[in-house]
Order: sequence, then C-alpha cells, then structure tokens
Amino acid sequence: MPTEYSVMGLFTDEKRAVSAIEAIKDSPWQLRRVNSPIPSHKIADALELKKSKVGYFTLAGGITGFFSGFLLAAFTASQWHLIVSGKPVIALVPFFIVGFEFTILFAIFGNVVGLIHQMQLPEYKGLEQYDPRCSGHHFGVTASCKAEDLEGLKHFFQSKGGEVKVILNGPV
Amino acid sequence: MPDTGSYVSIDEANMTELTFAKIDQTVLDTLKPPDRSYWVTVGILFLGVLTGAACWIYQILTGIGVAGMNIPVAWGTYLINFVFWVGIAHSGTLISAILHLLRAGWRNPIARAAETMTVFAVCIAGLFPFIHLGRVWLVFYMLPVPNQRNLWQNFQSPLMFDVVAISTYFTVSSLFWYTGMLPDLAIVRDRATGVRKKIFKIISLGWTGAHEQWRHYARGYLFFAALATPLVISVHSVVSWDFALGIAPGWHTTIFAPYFVAGAIHSGLAMVLTLMIPIRKIFHYEKIITTGVLENVAKTIIFTGLIVGFAYGTEFFMAWYSRNPVEIAIFKYRPTGDYAVGFWIMVICNTMIPLLFFFKRIRTTIPWLFVISIFVNIGMWFERFVIIISSVSRDFIPHAWGLYSPTFIEFGIMLGAFCLFFFLYLLFVKHLPSVSMTEMKEVVDQGASHAD
Repeated sequence: MPTEYSVMGLFTDEKRAVSAIEAIKDSPWQLRRVNSPIPSHKIADALELKKSKVGYFTLAGGITGFFSGFLLAAFTASQWHLIVSGKPVIALVPFFIVGFEFTILFAIFGNVVGLIHQMQLPEYKGLEQYDPRCSGHHFGVTASCKAEDLEGLKHFFQSKGGEVKVILNGPV
Repeated sequence: MPDTGSYVSIDEANMTELTFAKIDQTVLDTLKPPDRSYWVTVGILFLGVLTGAACWIYQILTGIGVAGMNIPVAWGTYLINFVFWVGIAHSGTLISAILHLLRAGWRNPIARAAETMTVFAVCIAGLFPFIHLGRVWLVFYMLPVPNQRNLWQNFQSPLMFDVVAISTYFTVSSLFWYTGMLPDLAIVRDRATGVRKKIFKIISLGWTGAHEQWRHYARGYLFFAALATPLVISVHSVVSWDFALGIAPGWHTTIFAPYFVAGAIHSGLAMVLTLMIPIRKIFHYEKIITTGVLENVAKTIIFTGLIVGFAYGTEFFMAWYSRNPVEIAIFKYRPTGDYAVGFWIMVICNTMIPLLFFFKRIRTTIPWLFVISIFVNIGMWFERFVIIISSVSRDFIPHAWGLYSPTFIEFGIMLGAFCLFFFLYLLFVKHLPSVSMTEMKEVVDQGASHAD
C-alpha cells in the first residue's frame, strides 16, 4: 500500500488551472508539476518561477567564441608573417569580423547546451507521468498527497472543474 | 516561439473560430498519407535534381571550362545563385527572429514555413561555392585544417569571412528551427501511432510541456532570436563585401551591405508568398494563414522594395557625383549596354511592380500576391546577375573587356538547385508540421485583447 499519491488535475481552461495552482499553494498538498500546451505567463506568475539560468551558458559560449575566432585568425596569420593588402599581420578589423561570427556561433552552442542541461532533455521517463492531452488543449496540474488525503485531493481538482487522473504512486 | 507578449493582427473573426483543438487538427491533417499527385510532383522534382547532379558530374569529369565563365568574367551563375539563395534564406530569420523580438504576432502562422525555407535555402546556397570550385575535392582548403605544409586561409579575405558566416548561419538557423519545433514534435508524437510515434518520441526528446521546461525554453528561444538578428544582418553584409572589398567598378562602394541586406529580405519575403500561397490552398490553412497575414508580408515587400529602389538610385547618384569616369562608365553601361535587358527586368520587377501593393485590392487578392511574388523573385535573380556580371565584364582596361552567357550545364545545375529546394520543401510539408501549432495557440490564447 503506497503511502503517497500523485494526482493530476486536467483543465481545459487556463484560468481554472491557475486557480488550482494558487489554492494548492495554501494547502497541505505538494505541487509537483504543471504541464501546458503553451508557455503561459499566468501559470509562471502563479508558480513564482525564477528567471532561467540558460543565459549564463549563452554568455560563456559567446565570450569563448569571440576569443576562439579572433585567436584562430591571428594564429594562422602569424605562421608566415606575410603582409597582405598592406594590412598588419594581425589585422584587427578583419579578424574582429571572424571573432564576431564565432561569437554568435559559440553563443548558440552555449545556448543549446544550456537548454539541454537545464531542461534535462532528452528524458523519456517523464512521459510515463504525463497525459498526452497536455500537448493539445489541456493544462495538467500535478500534486502529491498522503494516502489518507487522496480522496480530498481528487475532490479538490473536481471542485475546480478539472478531470482527475491518479498518475503514480509516490512523488513525481 | 514563446511569444506571450506579442500583439496579434489576425482577423478577429478567425480568432473566435480557432480553438486549440482545431489548430492541432488542421496541421495534423497535413501529415496524413499523401495522394498520388504528391508523389508524382516529388518524382518530377527529383528528376530535376538528377539533371542538376548529372550536369555537375559532367563538369567535374570534364573541367570547369564547360561553364561559360571566362576571363574577365570569372564569376557566373554559380555565384549569382549563391547570392540569390543566401538572400532567400534571410527572410526566414527576419520572420522568426526579428519579428519575434518586435512582437509582431502576424508572423506566427508563417514563421515555421519561413524558417524551413531558410534552412533549405542555405543548404542550396552552400552547394554553389563547391560547384564553382571546379575541383570540388579540394574544398577542404577552405577550412582551417592543420596540414603538413602549415598553410592556412587568409582570414583578411572577405571570401573567408563568407565561409565562416555561411557556416555559422546554417548551423544557427538549423538549431533555431529544430528547437522551435520541439513542442510541435511532441504534439505529433502524442497523436501518432506505430512507427511514426516511435520516431517522433525520439526526436521530440521527451518534451512534456512541464513548467520547468517552458521556463528555460522561453529564455533560450529569446536568446536564439536575439543572436540570430545580428547574425542575419552580418551574413549578407559579408556576402556584399565579397564584392565591395574588391576594386571592380560598380562593386567598390560602401552602400553594398545595407543594399544587399534589404535586397535579401525583399527576395525572401517574395519567396515566402510564393511558397505559402499554394500551401495555404492545398492544406486548407485559410483560417490560420489569413489574407491579413499575407497582406502584412506584402506591406513589408513595399518597404523593402522602396529601400532597394533607393539603393539603385543612390548607386547612380554616387557614380555621377564622384566624377570618377570608370564608375560613370559602368553605370551608363548597365541600363544601355549588353545586359540592359537584365537591368530593366531588375528595376521593373523589384521596385515598380511591388508598388502595386499600395492598392489594397491588389495586396488582398491572392492571385495578384502570387504573381507579383514571382516577379520579385525573377527581379532579384537578375539583380545579382547585373551586379556580378556587368562590373567585371567592363573592367578598367578596355582591351580586356569580355562578355558572358551561361551554358546549358549552368542552366542544368540551376534547374537542379531550384528542384532540390522545392523537393526538400515538399518532403517537409508532408512529414513535419509546417505551421507552428504552439505559436498559433499562443495567438488564440491572447485573443482579442491583443488584436490589432
């Protein structure tokens, strides 16, 4: 007999989902996850989400990229010390252009690495605790409770206008 | 992609009709098994691709002399097509990144199609320097690969800027395209069965739309857009410097970078119309890609057409004002010389015909939109022809002047390139969601309160 249950309330209306989230915050139940078909500001505000740290990865990539590009051009030019078009061997303006392109490229690499790291993708186990309707037009609010509170949590979601789905024994 | 702050200019009547479920159904219906006419069209396009490939193989086996390029016109249709396809690629990023940052909600229905156009157009553009090389097996000389002779590229050359810029643009636009598609791939996964479900399960990376995923995704997408915006401007600026940093008359001018960027967006927007109008009809996207959306593209074409027209005029003014006899000669040559037909096609198609969009009746009539978009595409191809060919055919030394005309091999390769683009695009629209369902849902979610 499991001691803890996770229950998903499925709402067709964003406002009801937000209302359920607000109510769960003031309850003994633990809010676990919200699945939504769109990135909702209302849900994000209700959850009081912090700003993502993906940007630090992007910034690190960009800085690395600029120096990689500029230094690659400078290193290759310095191998023969040939004057081309009357410019210095280490020519700042053209090598800045190479540095700029590498900045964008590596910043995007950093961004992608940041997304993969922060979103923890690919991750296929999460699909077991997920309802496919959440990619369509349903908002899924998942909360966990003690075994003795299960009926209360189910009743709560129903009272908020949601459809109830017991998705897993134990925390998600 | 997460565009929750955007305003929307999609018809309110359609907005009230559209629901999340209807959007999903409309887009998922496009992924149903195609009928025979689809495969016949794909087959014809594939034949075109094979024709182009055969011409290229013939050129590799025989030598670059089978093309019409000569001294002094050493850059021919291969470089024209390279610039043309890079230009086509640009409006995809304009629509997906710049208009995203500007919160222009009308971009949402066409953003996916335009991004896809970008990816395929950059692929096609990237082929042409390979083809132009002649000895294509030496292509690695363009890459900074350590070698026993310690020979390296000259990074002071705009041609090397181009290698770096185009490679970056291809990588960034592909990653942007795939990342933007993740939530939609999950929608297809959740409605699919059998093998398709398995494939989409893998490529959607286990996306569930959990709040933690959206939190990072929204931020990451914003950075994608913010980085793609300066990139797109830099890429065609770099392409323009392939010419502007040379000394040929008509090329060596500071106006080239903004002129090329505006021209690129002009041609790309026209190609968006050329692609979206048939897709809209075939896949019954009328309620998603409304006339209002196409009208906004047309209005933007007026704007870019005016910039391009202004640039054409400025080139003539600068030649006259400089009193430089060589510059004056080349700008007299363009409208009256051997390539005058190309010049006037360029002027009429790019600057005059788009002015018809000032009339509301024309810019809201689908056949007019389609026909004018074709004219702009033709005009923009000829713009590159006029710029590239005329300047080098009439260089500084009159006894070294020469003419250029493409050969059948070049036409074959050009045909192959166009067929390859439409071939890839046809495969895309039947196998991946060609309209972003998630972004359309955002539009519906914001509703009339955000309407134009």
